Amino acid sequence: MKKLLVAVCSAAFLMGSVPALAATDELVWGDTLPKGLDPHVVYDVPMQMFMLNTYDGLYRYIGNPPELTPWLAESHTVSADGLTWQFKLRDGVTFHDGSPLTADDVIYSFKRLLAMGKGPSGAFKPVLKPENVTKVDNLTVQFTLDHAYAPFLATMPLVSIVNEELLKAHEKDGDFGAEWLASNEAGSGAYSLDPKTYNPQEIADLYRNKNHFYGWDDNPSPIDVVRAHPVKETSTRVFALLRGDIDGTDGYLPTDQVERVENAEGVHVQKDESMRIMIIRMNNTRPPFDNLNFRKCVSYAFQYDGFINVVLKGLVTRNPGPLPGNLWGAPKDVKGYSYDIAKAKEYCDAARAEGAPLDRDLEIHIQSALDQTTQSAQLLQQGLSDVGVNLKLVASTWPNLTSQAGTAETTPDMWVHWVSTYFVDPENWIGQMYDSNFHGTWKASSWYQNDEVDRLLREARSETDQAERAKRYEAAYRQIVDDAADIWIYNTVTLRGVSDRVEGLKFSPVGSGAEFRWMSLKQ
Amino acid sequence: MLLFAIRRLLLILPILLGLLLLTFLMLRFGGSDPAAAIAGDIATPQQIEEIREGLGLNQPIIVQFWDYLKDAARGDFGVSVYSNRPVGLDIARRLPATLELTFAALLIATVFGIGFGTLAGVYRNSIFDYVVRIVSVAGLAAASFWIAIMFQLVFAMELDVLPLRGRLPTGMEAPQFITGLYLVDCLLTGNLATFWEAFRHMILPAVTISLGGLATIARFTRSAVIASMQSEFAMYEEAVGYPRHRVVFPYVLRNSLVTPVTQVGLLFGAFISNAVAVEAVFDWPGLGSYLVEAIFTSDYQAVLAVTLVIGAIYGLVNILVDLTHGLLDPRVAERM
Repeated sequence: MKKLLVAVCSAAFLMGSVPALAATDELVWGDTLPKGLDPHVVYDVPMQMFMLNTYDGLYRYIGNPPELTPWLAESHTVSADGLTWQFKLRDGVTFHDGSPLTADDVIYSFKRLLAMGKGPSGAFKPVLKPENVTKVDNLTVQFTLDHAYAPFLATMPLVSIVNEELLKAHEKDGDFGAEWLASNEAGSGAYSLDPKTYNPQEIADLYRNKNHFYGWDDNPSPIDVVRAHPVKETSTRVFALLRGDIDGTDGYLPTDQVERVENAEGVHVQKDESMRIMIIRMNNTRPPFDNLNFRKCVSYAFQYDGFINVVLKGLVTRNPGPLPGNLWGAPKDVKGYSYDIAKAKEYCDAARAEGAPLDRDLEIHIQSALDQTTQSAQLLQQGLSDVGVNLKLVASTWPNLTSQAGTAETTPDMWVHWVSTYFVDPENWIGQMYDSNFHGTWKASSWYQNDEVDRLLREARSETDQAERAKRYEAAYRQIVDDAADIWIYNTVTLRGVSDRVEGLKFSPVGSGAEFRWMSLKQ
Repeated sequence: MLLFAIRRLLLILPILLGLLLLTFLMLRFGGSDPAAAIAGDIATPQQIEEIREGLGLNQPIIVQFWDYLKDAARGDFGVSVYSNRPVGLDIARRLPATLELTFAALLIATVFGIGFGTLAGVYRNSIFDYVVRIVSVAGLAAASFWIAIMFQLVFAMELDVLPLRGRLPTGMEAPQFITGLYLVDCLLTGNLATFWEAFRHMILPAVTISLGGLATIARFTRSAVIASMQSEFAMYEEAVGYPRHRVVFPYVLRNSLVTPVTQVGLLFGAFISNAVAVEAVFDWPGLGSYLVEAIFTSDYQAVLAVTLVIGAIYGLVNILVDLTHGLLDPRVAERM
């Protein structure tokens, strides 16, 4: 009898579990959630997933290459001088609580963003004052810029339109409802959040908004419930995908896991060329990096092909300059630098002859949590040691490095990072990385200074004709590459492990394809 | 004993103050600027400066620390500088998960550690003793992060008998919040189906955390049992014909427990630090994973508050351990 009891208990223990996978009409998404849910406070890659699904903006990027598509706005006009922009809103759009979305909500959203000064506000603060966002009529909003800013339209998708009345009802001590919105949502998007089950950074259950203004005609079997359950550790994330606990990983599947997922049944790796470039920065103000010959020496000492083809197994594409190769404004004929140790030696000798202090230990700061930063730094360390330059690796974190980038004195000799797609315009990369007006931000942390490049980038920023802008960006691009301001390595291919039951995943560099309204589940 | 407890409780206060000051200074001089982290990826230098000003980060360190202390004394741990959510709320939500996991690990480590250690001591130099000694060395040497992944690989991926991650299966509703400890709340509400799932989800992370401590307790218990077995009172009792189990359980074991019990208090701190890595691997929604995220995002309010809470719990557990000494050994109780 006792033995039987033990056997029954053991069997119950081993077998008695709820099936790993959620219901067949529910999608379980294993990508990261943002730390807070207020889209005017937090703006990073995880937030893009949340805001694309629960909020709407005036315009939206769709597809790859990303196409700027009218979304809440039906159309827009811009004055000849590029200062006055009017957006005509769609009629009949409602928020999740059923209240109508009007010009007042758009104005409130922009004023709230600018007043709080966080998240994506940096894209607007230099050109837009809160009082210059005005109402023309109930469905028309006007923006009057301080000066012409060509990327203005491209930055529109950064701003989520929030429900003014709902937020005002939750306002505390003039906080614009920020404390409440950190754990709730006030949008009109294709999915709404269930705040009852929301657990910060752990669980966000989203339910389909059947009344979404865009309609659902283009997706006959949309997903009704999306459970966003982030899996933090890479190995666990891959395990969870393989055993069917989740339907999708994040878009940064390590290259050593790609083959494993590709060889498994029921899952695959979705590969999409993105717009996220990897760069090794050089502090151009600090000797010996203030010497052009030395920067060229470093540029020739990096094993681009070895890194891309061996370490990353060819899963990324070489990107020789400061713009993603698949974006307008990047000249196609510029080949950039390649690994050539003889040339590196030649340039280092020239730098030494000019008195550059190559004898001191140089430092490259890596981001401890990101293996590729270490691997690339080690390759460069090897290359430089071949030309008699000593490079030391220093472990750091993203907040530390962005803080250090605040002044030229505290910015490290070199550091490694990526520039993602915040908005699809050359301004997001070359404009903010090499215009000296942006010194003090992490994007401009090479402290590059060239008056001609400044002029070209500023003209491109205020010029409204795209062909004219492209010419200036191309000229600036060539000059910056000639000046070897940084080491540009590759443009990312997003690698996302996905269950075979997921259909209709539509990739865009903004949001990395995590827009659920296009997806369905194979039954 | 009551006076002793009160005295020890009062002593915790300066310890916590020192802990806070140390953490505060490390965060401030650690090279990371919370304003830059809050401002986000596309901020202008002016925007970062405005945020710094708004948070009072330009004020002298001593003023900032004093302001923090005043708020903390009122139970206000501030608002996460990154997410705008009250830190106290986040901690209240996550603390029970970590406590439940840590106490489960402590229970496993204590019960099995004392059990194995006692048997190894009583049957010294037997095969069982050798096995316990070898396994305990391995338990001490292996990194919990590695053990966690191996457990996942074997029990979740290969055998598919235990869950891979989380506190409950996806989509299963959490039990009604009473204590936040799922097992306790499930029992209080009679929700046995959820209890079973919560229990199964806890096995791998709790065992992973417990292994190092189990090995420590087993080794200390073994040594103490061997010493007690060789003492005069044990030899006398055996000589007058007491059966061995009557000698071991009431007498030898009680005299051998003081050292392992001290270890339990110390191990609690080690378990909490182990939980940081183990919670990340098993997606356990506790304070460990929260702390890691807070450090990586320079969320200094969150880091300070978690440090304070863990420090306070650690202090309280050690007071409990000291009081237990008094119960085990009347000589200690007299000195309290």
